[in-house]
Amino acid sequence: MSLGMLSIAREELRRYNGRSGAPAYIAYEGSVYDVPSSFLWRNGKHQVLHEAGCDLAGCLDQAPHGEDFLKRFPVVGALSGD
Amino acid sequence: MAKVAREMVERAGVNVDQLLELLVNNAAAELTTFYYYTILRVNLIGLQGEGIKEIAETARIEDRNHFEALVPRIYELGGKLPDNMKDFHDCSACPPASLPQDPTDIQAMLKVLVAAERCAVRGYTHICNLTAGKDHRTYDLSLAILNEEVEHESWFSEFLGEGPSGHFLRRCETSPFVSKFLR
Repeated sequence: MSLGMLSIAREELRRYNGRSGAPAYIAYEGSVYDVPSSFLWRNGKHQVLHEAGCDLAGCLDQAPHGEDFLKRFPVVGALSGD
Repeated sequence: MAKVAREMVERAGVNVDQLLELLVNNAAAELTTFYYYTILRVNLIGLQGEGIKEIAETARIEDRNHFEALVPRIYELGGKLPDNMKDFHDCSACPPASLPQDPTDIQAMLKVLVAAERCAVRGYTHICNLTAGKDHRTYDLSLAILNEEVEHESWFSEFLGEGPSGHFLRRCETSPFVSKFLR
């Protein structure tokens, strides 16, 4: 994590669900990504099954795309604690 | 609604409401793509553009066929299309295949076309994975659509210099895989 990046706890991450004007963040492998710029994450929802505010660990195994898709989004912080 | 058909799918472990949302979103992607491809097609002009116009037209008609083939399955499973066309457009599973800022830029046009097809390939692969061995009819339909989307992708990708598609143009037919759902 570079200086100036946020440390975001799971509980806090849940609030960034893209609904009611909230930012839409998702976590993957310890990094937190900002996804609202993507058409495919409108209203904090992705392809019906995935929601912003969550850690997507394990979800990519079944997704029809790789992690390169996630890494196109800006990283806004690091997921902290459990 | 086909009550028993839906019950069989539910009993196989599929979340039918989620599946219906995916089917509606993909039907929206097909119809909106038909619309956007209409604009792309009329702008595929000149020495470069004319060479792509024919496959863009085939993909356009086949995408409309996919929409037509998806609708009965949505209603069989107890779903419905949104009442409002704007809501339908906005729930599309894929971003709009909008005309590039410079409509004479054929490379940019091809990138829009191939991105749209790749989104569709991912979408139907996803539905096939969710329904395989559980919802045989939706799987069969999604697989038929996937077969055509893969062909579309490879046609456009060939023109982008990514390698041969291995195909030849359709011969006086469209939707060789999906046509059995359009009878």
